[in-house]
Amino acid sequence: MTAIPPTSPLPIDNSCRLPLFTLFGGAAVWLALSSGFGLIATLKFHAPAMFANCASLSYGRAFPAWSHLLVYGFCLPAGLGVGLWLLARLGRVELAQPWLIAVGAKLWHLGVLVGLIGILAGQSTGFEWFELPRAAAVILFLAFLLITMWGFVTYTRRTQASLYPSQWFVLAALLWFPWIFSTATLLLQIFPVRGLVQASVAWWFSGNLINVWLTLAGLASTFYVLPKLTGRPLQSHYLALFAFWTLMLFGTWTGIPAHAALPAWMPTLSGAARVLMLIPALTVGASVILTCRGVKTPCAGGPLCYTKFGAACLVLASVLLAISACPQVSRITDYTWFDHGQNTLRIYGFFAMTMFGAIYHIVPHLVGPDRVCPRWMRINFWFVMPGTLLLALPLVLGGVAQGLKLVDASVPFVAVAKSTLMALRISTLGETMLALGNLIFLFNIVGAIVSYYCSVGKAAYTEATALEPARVKA
Amino acid sequence: MKSSALVFLAAFIALSASWGGFVLAPQLQLGRAAQVKTVPAQDNYPVARPGLAAQGAEVYRSLGCVYCHSQSVGQDGVNCEIVLTDAGTNGAATLAVLGKLNAALARADTLTGLPKVLMSVADMNAADPILKALGSAGAKAQVVVSALGPDIARGWGRRRSVAQDYLYDSPVQPGTRRVGPDLANVGVRQPDVNWQFRHLYAPTSLVPGSTMPPYPFLFAERKLKPGQPPSPNAIPLTAAGVFFDVSKDTGPADRELVPTDEARSLVAYLVSLRAEATLFESPFTAPAAPPPPATNAPAK
Amino acid sequence: MNAEAKQPSPVRPESEPTSAATTVPMWLIAGLLGLLFLGAWYFDARGGWFEAKVYAPYLSLADVQRFQPRTGGPEDVILRGKVLFEQNCALCHNPDGLGKPAQAPPLAGSEWVLAAGVNRLIRIPQLGLSGPIEVKGQVWNLPMAAMGVAYSDDDLAAVLSYIRNAWGNKASIVAGEQVKKVRAELGGRNQPYSPDELKKEAE
Repeated sequence: MTAIPPTSPLPIDNSCRLPLFTLFGGAAVWLALSSGFGLIATLKFHAPAMFANCASLSYGRAFPAWSHLLVYGFCLPAGLGVGLWLLARLGRVELAQPWLIAVGAKLWHLGVLVGLIGILAGQSTGFEWFELPRAAAVILFLAFLLITMWGFVTYTRRTQASLYPSQWFVLAALLWFPWIFSTATLLLQIFPVRGLVQASVAWWFSGNLINVWLTLAGLASTFYVLPKLTGRPLQSHYLALFAFWTLMLFGTWTGIPAHAALPAWMPTLSGAARVLMLIPALTVGASVILTCRGVKTPCAGGPLCYTKFGAACLVLASVLLAISACPQVSRITDYTWFDHGQNTLRIYGFFAMTMFGAIYHIVPHLVGPDRVCPRWMRINFWFVMPGTLLLALPLVLGGVAQGLKLVDASVPFVAVAKSTLMALRISTLGETMLALGNLIFLFNIVGAIVSYYCSVGKAAYTEATALEPARVKA
Repeated sequence: MKSSALVFLAAFIALSASWGGFVLAPQLQLGRAAQVKTVPAQDNYPVARPGLAAQGAEVYRSLGCVYCHSQSVGQDGVNCEIVLTDAGTNGAATLAVLGKLNAALARADTLTGLPKVLMSVADMNAADPILKALGSAGAKAQVVVSALGPDIARGWGRRRSVAQDYLYDSPVQPGTRRVGPDLANVGVRQPDVNWQFRHLYAPTSLVPGSTMPPYPFLFAERKLKPGQPPSPNAIPLTAAGVFFDVSKDTGPADRELVPTDEARSLVAYLVSLRAEATLFESPFTAPAAPPPPATNAPAK
Repeated sequence: MNAEAKQPSPVRPESEPTSAATTVPMWLIAGLLGLLFLGAWYFDARGGWFEAKVYAPYLSLADVQRFQPRTGGPEDVILRGKVLFEQNCALCHNPDGLGKPAQAPPLAGSEWVLAAGVNRLIRIPQLGLSGPIEVKGQVWNLPMAAMGVAYSDDDLAAVLSYIRNAWGNKASIVAGEQVKKVRAELGGRNQPYSPDELKKEAE
């Protein structure tokens, strides 16, 4: 709130370079790969017999491979990378132990790979959003601790005492993931609890991961990128505070679906919490509108554009979540594609878009301004933005149509299943556009990193060869 | 918010509340659940799955069946009806009792075509005096409680699923999406092992229009030498690779489909799926004949 | 790292974002309170107040109770007997009533259980049995303790009714009064019967 004199970010950027390259580069690779599995899964609705002889590419394995790579491969490393950057930049302090963080990031990617192989080999746990086998879960947990630890050290070393809203979100995210992840690993995999308590734990975990963790990490970036790029103060400190507390108070309870075969109090409590999630979403919407009001900065396809679109998707997804929590609606939308559409809107539309924006904002600081082509950045936006909408909205609308038929027992089930195919096939188009967009993202990011290291190598070579004659003379 | 200790403390409290609510509380409430007796039959429920079916649960998990199939029946309401089973010897007295309840019932044809649903009542308490009055007139009636809802109407189960149904499952696979039908009671609907094998191999051959992918990798296809007897458990095929139809195709089959161990255990698991025991928390009247299997053991 | 010192980008001081101190608008606070009230009302109406046995669409334990099946008549007695049998008798006689080899004779199809009168049958659990007994053409010789002595008249009658009507057995229900009458006849006797002695009693 009080103005702080501008400082040179050079040492901070230098300390962030290696860990962020590792996190973002790996995330971009996993994201592109996840789109591949997503395409394989969605193609099963066009030709069910495709890859029928390959167990690893059956729908029941390609689909979890997609979600595993999307969440654990892309979302978490991207969120962590942006979070570390925010802790360093906002604390005006160099990142602590960048080498160890980079090792943690490598370990993380190893864990994702182990998880992917496990899922394709049929070792998935059977819990949605938590498919990774035990070995992968343990590796990911250790990697997260390694990265988080130095995040906290960076935070405690900060030279700027007062906190900016983004810092609360990052800190809460760093605190919350180890907790939910260790609970899920311990109670679902290492000492499995009995019967349907497993489902309760798994739903609690996935609700917290998708509705809370991703929102915390995403909003940290939104609340940083918007004022940074518009050059206006965030509107406002108290709105951000309000969003933060309501998100943590209500979001953590949203996991249990209305149809769960659990005692009535659990789905009911969860339903009430889902409706209450409207409050943080509307707060974020208000904050974004107030911050960007009257801003003349052009946004076409740049980080600002990604971030604003992401915030809009968050509001939309939260409205859908709240609507589908009403018992009259959940009766129809339960068990349909609606829920998946809503999740897709949240993960791709809000989180991934916000991360794209943040990464496109951060990476030029790390590699130098001209190494990320603004044109390709814009092209990327015009692939992923319509791709997301084409993927998520048909699932949402098709889900409603499917649900209306599903609750009418006079419609045979085969007819219900067939009626969803049109929506699913449209969403394949969205998935394809997203896959292309994700490939562009991969080439943009990896290209920037490679070109940076090429120039560094070239400079080092020039330096070394330039010195040689002098040495010979001596 | 200058004090970061405050942020941490408050975040800790907010987050741990939901941990207590959806991890600790269910564990305390359901985590120590044990086998119970069904009401009123007093059978043990659930019983552990036999070995092959337990292995099949692993195949079900490994192939990710849960992404398309739920195992969780829903229920919208409950209906309580009085069914007249025996008009007794004194029809006039019975009709007099019925006439007091509802004038429209006091007609001679009410007493024909038994058993017959007389009326819906609010609950068991409302039914008691009616049964008593009918009993005093020499007639016999019973109360039938049935679950309502689209899932029940589709024949996916007789009552909603409750936590007790999943007691011995690990991992539990309740599912969240119905790309395919609910499987909570597939062992009741389709106990035929042979049908299940054929359906896994070529779903559309048995369910026209099915969107389910085939699972040929669960089977080994073999050519039979002339005169060679088919293997036990094998499914005969015609030369064109389609199922051997006894009514149309002539002569012995020249190809056969041998289910792998995975397929056999998966199918044993599928036919073991039955969650129709009458439990306190989800009451319904089981039909008198044939008696429903009160366990989730596989069909014989 | 030497390479990192050669940061190629032009470096200029940057200011980090700040946040304005505008307060939270009233409509958001009102919305929060309104939704909180709605949520509390919804939970109160549908939540079953943390009962483990209340599932939707039931609203409370009393609501579930309203639909519990009632049988009335002889079935109730038999079902109560089944519970008691499985607690106390099934250890030796097996839940399926087939007995245990060389230990306890079967009850399913046993001529002692299916006798027309229950005068002898009541005496067996009341006082126990010692000495060789022939059941379904096979001789068993292991004493039985007075397992039923602590049962109330109605409970003992329920167990006997159950074994007379389970596993394909079909015989009359035993009434509590019958047990009471036999117990009165036995007076203070606490010695177990032998099968031969039992046969001297009326059926």
